[in-house]
Amino acid sequence: MRVVGSSPPTLEAEDKVAGRTRYLPDEVVPGMAHAKVLRSPYAHARLVFIDASPARALPGVVCVLTRDEVLADPRVGNLYGYVFRDAPLVAIDRVRYQGDIVAVVVAEDVHTAEEALELIDVEYEELPRLLDAEEAMSPGAPLIHDRMYPIASELHPIEGTNVCHRSTLETGDVERGFAEADAVFEDVYEAPPVQHCALELHAVIADVRDDAMTVRTNCQAPFPLKAELERIFKRPARVIVSYVGGGFGSKSRDRIEAVVAAASNLAKRPVRLVLTQEETFLAGYIRPAFKCWIKTGVTRDGIITARSYRFITDAGAYAITGARSANNTVKVAAGPYRIPNAFVECFAVYTNKPPSAPYRGLPTTQHTMAYETQMDRIADELGIDRVEIRKRNLLKDGDIHITGDLIRSSHVAECLDGAVAALSGPAPAGDEQTLRGRGFGCTIKYTLTPPQPSVESEAAVELGADGRFEVRAATVNIGQGSDTTMAQIAAEALGVGLEQMRVVHSDTALVPPDSSTTASRSTYHMGNAVLDAATRLRAEVLEVASGLLEEEPDALRLDGDGVRLASAPERRVALDELVAANGAPLLQYGQCEVGGEYVDEQGKRYPVASTFWTFAAAGAEVEVSRETGQITLSRVSCAVNVGRAVNPVSVHKQIEGGLGMELGPTLFERLVWDGDGQLLTSSLLDYPLPTMSTMPRYETALVEPGFPGGPYGAKGMGEVGSVVLPAAVLNAVYDATGVRFHSVPLHPEAVLRALEEAGEAANG
Amino acid sequence: MRNFEYAQPATASEASRLLADSDDTLALSGGTAAVVLLHLGLLRPSLVVDLGGATEMQGIERPNGGMRVGALTTIRTLETSAAVAVAYPILAEAASQVGSVRVRNAATVGGAVAYGEPQTDVPAALIALGAEVEAQHGDSRRSLPLADFFHGPYETDLAHGEIVSAVSLPAPQARTGGCHAKFTIGSMEHKPVANASAVVTLDADGACLAARVVVGAVGPTPLVAERAASALLGAPIGEANAREAARVAAEDAEPIDDLRGSAWYKRRIVRVLVERAVRRAAERAAA
Repeated sequence: MRVVGSSPPTLEAEDKVAGRTRYLPDEVVPGMAHAKVLRSPYAHARLVFIDASPARALPGVVCVLTRDEVLADPRVGNLYGYVFRDAPLVAIDRVRYQGDIVAVVVAEDVHTAEEALELIDVEYEELPRLLDAEEAMSPGAPLIHDRMYPIASELHPIEGTNVCHRSTLETGDVERGFAEADAVFEDVYEAPPVQHCALELHAVIADVRDDAMTVRTNCQAPFPLKAELERIFKRPARVIVSYVGGGFGSKSRDRIEAVVAAASNLAKRPVRLVLTQEETFLAGYIRPAFKCWIKTGVTRDGIITARSYRFITDAGAYAITGARSANNTVKVAAGPYRIPNAFVECFAVYTNKPPSAPYRGLPTTQHTMAYETQMDRIADELGIDRVEIRKRNLLKDGDIHITGDLIRSSHVAECLDGAVAALSGPAPAGDEQTLRGRGFGCTIKYTLTPPQPSVESEAAVELGADGRFEVRAATVNIGQGSDTTMAQIAAEALGVGLEQMRVVHSDTALVPPDSSTTASRSTYHMGNAVLDAATRLRAEVLEVASGLLEEEPDALRLDGDGVRLASAPERRVALDELVAANGAPLLQYGQCEVGGEYVDEQGKRYPVASTFWTFAAAGAEVEVSRETGQITLSRVSCAVNVGRAVNPVSVHKQIEGGLGMELGPTLFERLVWDGDGQLLTSSLLDYPLPTMSTMPRYETALVEPGFPGGPYGAKGMGEVGSVVLPAAVLNAVYDATGVRFHSVPLHPEAVLRALEEAGEAANG
Repeated sequence: MRNFEYAQPATASEASRLLADSDDTLALSGGTAAVVLLHLGLLRPSLVVDLGGATEMQGIERPNGGMRVGALTTIRTLETSAAVAVAYPILAEAASQVGSVRVRNAATVGGAVAYGEPQTDVPAALIALGAEVEAQHGDSRRSLPLADFFHGPYETDLAHGEIVSAVSLPAPQARTGGCHAKFTIGSMEHKPVANASAVVTLDADGACLAARVVVGAVGPTPLVAERAASALLGAPIGEANAREAARVAAEDAEPIDDLRGSAWYKRRIVRVLVERAVRRAAERAAA
């Protein structure tokens, strides 16, 4: 292979470094007005009265969208949501979290819009608030929604409660498995909510006309958004997504596109909204609060006989996507292990907190934290080496996962060896001020997979009049370098160089459909669609050249900027001449169908709960200050089975990016509300983020066995880098201090208190 | 952010008059705090007076062996100035710990002092050095010890219309050393849990002749830890008296529980920082 497996700079790197890349907040549309959102000051309240007429009277105000305008327009639906249709465009009768959308002001400039917000007269009547998922599940808790609104068939709300989803996965006989165990371990783990804090703020410019609508946004799922807008507004929609400065799940299913579209529909002109960083904290989609109970039975030799695992995620006020995210991880919640008897139970629960979103693999990270820190405890208490006990249980090719899937191309033990080897050298010793230790963990990650066979990604590749190839792919270029990855796959299939390629991304009027840029799915799904289209186009190019050169297609070779006769390279036709002779550009489509069953060589059938599983392992070396409790990560390793790296440098950097991002929630990030549901961490002044000063040295390694079915053997890896970090750090902190923590972040105060308590216990 | 009128007068006295003439004004210097407050809607002035045009408030002078730092001098200049590094290394050390390079390039000494935020690093170091602050009202100027300038969080001795025009430092003493230490959770750029500045002067025998210890972020203003300083006087500074100074500094601190930690934890951090700052200051004084 020439292009796949090499690491050219991303196609847009020069433009980005030079500041030429235009992001959505840079865009101006002629005639555009500006929106600001009036947000609820209360966590839960009845909307008694709203009168926006004083705001409308302010000079410069174009219009104000309230429940009255939404309900009055028969062409505008008032509920939003893809998998749960429970979010009103603006509050109708209730507000359900501090930051919930009450009204939208449209004005000639942002400052006027902001001023007008204060002129809207609103009367609220406060209702009992539920800020904790367990409390919201308790019998008799007040209901946050009067009824349930699931759309996706895999979601199972419990009517009459706040549980918007409960699901279970069971294999074997758990009670028998525990009875067979020599020892049973039970632990509880928790993690608080955090914000994604993508560098680029969420922005929308909507232009809604009577017969059509155009929405520019920096979302992660342009085609599902198009469908949802068309359903709500009953007219054809075009969604345009330019380069996006990070999303990590927070931009996957936000409702602000629909809200701004409703404002534009009322204003009868283009309307722009850019959320502020503070609004992102208040109302943005967050990684939800998480709690789990894990019980594991093992033999004396450390072989797992049974595991029961129950987890609760806080879906927030609207279950737009949070419930499905939680449900998807049921498949991986028990870990990358052979578990003959397993029971997994998942709850997603409404609370009066912001709606939850996926967060770089959510909540696989928290599951991994639970089963991998417990695994160290099991190893230590049984007196088995921490790496060895994992190897005795890790899934191997040919094993059956708890979902019934046949495990193929797993290589997770290799990942573990890689993560351990990367931190080799003498074990770090502590001293008077500093304790030092190492820890490791492994994981298994799923990707979004339909229950029935379906085409989830399509692509087109065209040979244009200038003799260059254009790849059209809806994958959102969100910083992961997807344009380059797709161009590399197409160039490889065509047999041309990367300089022959250009990429058009994510404009629903210009590219074929795709489900979303989430769940580490693009390289596999869109990569396969591009590979399919490019393979077809290559055949067509050779076919046309065959007519021009009067030779059989098999005798021809496409390379560089022309088609040559393999045996006599001087006989050639240039690509631009070929298109001219053809009379039109050559265009081919490709697709990727997934879902359904896997049939092995013997014809045996297996379910496919995930199109591919990504396996990874990570290690951390920590320093813990005895004086302050501060934890410093000195080195972090991570090894991932990526199938095959299309662009190895991009893959390494994406793993590092994930580790650097997860470092924050592991050590210090957390969203905090007071008892009234008022957010205390409401700006970056009170919400620390990792910076260069907190970064460890990274040692990343790729395991590349090639994944059957992936484009050139590649599979997804965008999220898995971050997933193991909290587990590895918690294990390293135990290694250093002898204290087992059951939650993150490892705030220095909590660490110092725990160290002192342990010291007192030892002395007392 | 709301709309406001903007003025950039060319002199400090005109800036002071503009600020005095209306009720609803904001003096803008480097803007690293002011712009955030405007953006968050916490300040809604009708007039913003940009002090940046009053170039007389720029620059560092050396009168009588001391130093006069113009209010518009950036924190980055304090960090990188050779004159500061030689005469008052603790000031360069404190400056180097403020925010990020981008923040330090914009933020000014005058702004850091006039804002009155109890967490910032530079005022603590300035108080430890015995700085005086120079305030200008119209054409008249007055000076007062910086230690007396802060009244509470974001409250200072400045009268309506009065601006900080400079900060002055006494001439450096022989056998004197200083250290500024700070502790943050998360990144270095974040607000500190606590900070501590210590300046000590030793006599020819190595005994502590004079000491000033200041702790920040653990009270309504930067606090002068007088009992801590007294604990050091009259003997060489070693583990025992540095610990005792740290213990009483922690006792005298007035921290509150907040997102950065409980009062208990902040007192623990004050102990760590004061001990570290005092001992390092003594090492530097002896060197």
